[in-house]
Amino acid sequence: MLCSIYATSMSRNSEEPVFNQIEEIRTSLGLSRQELADLVGVHYQTIGYLERGEYSPSLVLALRIAQTLNKEVSEVFSLTEPKEGDK
Amino acid sequence: MTKKNKIYWSLGVTEKGTRALLTDENSKFKWLRSQRNRRLLVVLNVLGIALVSLGSYYPTLKTNINLGTDTEIVIFSVTAIFVIFLTLGAYSYLRVAVRGIADAPDELLDERQIQIRNTSYRYAYLAMGYIVLGLLLLMFFGPELEMFQPEGNDGSYLAIATMFAFAAAPSMILAWRERDI
Repeated sequence: MLCSIYATSMSRNSEEPVFNQIEEIRTSLGLSRQELADLVGVHYQTIGYLERGEYSPSLVLALRIAQTLNKEVSEVFSLTEPKEGDK
Repeated sequence: MTKKNKIYWSLGVTEKGTRALLTDENSKFKWLRSQRNRRLLVVLNVLGIALVSLGSYYPTLKTNINLGTDTEIVIFSVTAIFVIFLTLGAYSYLRVAVRGIADAPDELLDERQIQIRNTSYRYAYLAMGYIVLGLLLLMFFGPELEMFQPEGNDGSYLAIATMFAFAAAPSMILAWRERDI
């Protein structure tokens, strides 16, 4: 638990990117950026920044996004780039 | 029953006003939000602030204008007021261009917006620190600019420019740095 919190807080450092599958999962669910943003409670630009990997979310936001997309956090976010088959 | 519009006195904004700016997607001001136009607004703001601050020195610079007559004083004052309102206009557009994020309270922003706002304040603090240091060095070691003289130059334009700079600096930094806003 402590390790995962540490990893997430480390990932907010711009030098260590966090990879995510938000765009793939969102489009498969037929959600627009605005709709996901409203469900999660952030601005739609923030979803764009997250999808492009230009912003690493806090632990709370990562959990909220995973919950909204009905996935485990590890299915949405990872510290290593997802393989083609995972996309 | 309509919800009461909360006023954030320390920030000088209202809840409704801030929300309107933050969610303003389809207004006539959308064109302001491209990075190119935002940067153009920053340049306009910097020019405006520089011009306003020059108002404190213009009468004492080595020019042929010495504000000796009433007409000259009127022309100078009217021009100065015009420049001040122009700068105020540029600042208002800048605030719209950055969705008022720089002046918004935490509870109306998401975590990324809070982060970029805080970063912009950090840079603004550093920038203003260097500007104030520069002015102090100019006062103590610079050429005789006859700063803050009771006649012609009481430093009032410099004070107005400083207020503009303090108010606009975080928005200017936000407007310049962010790709999308």
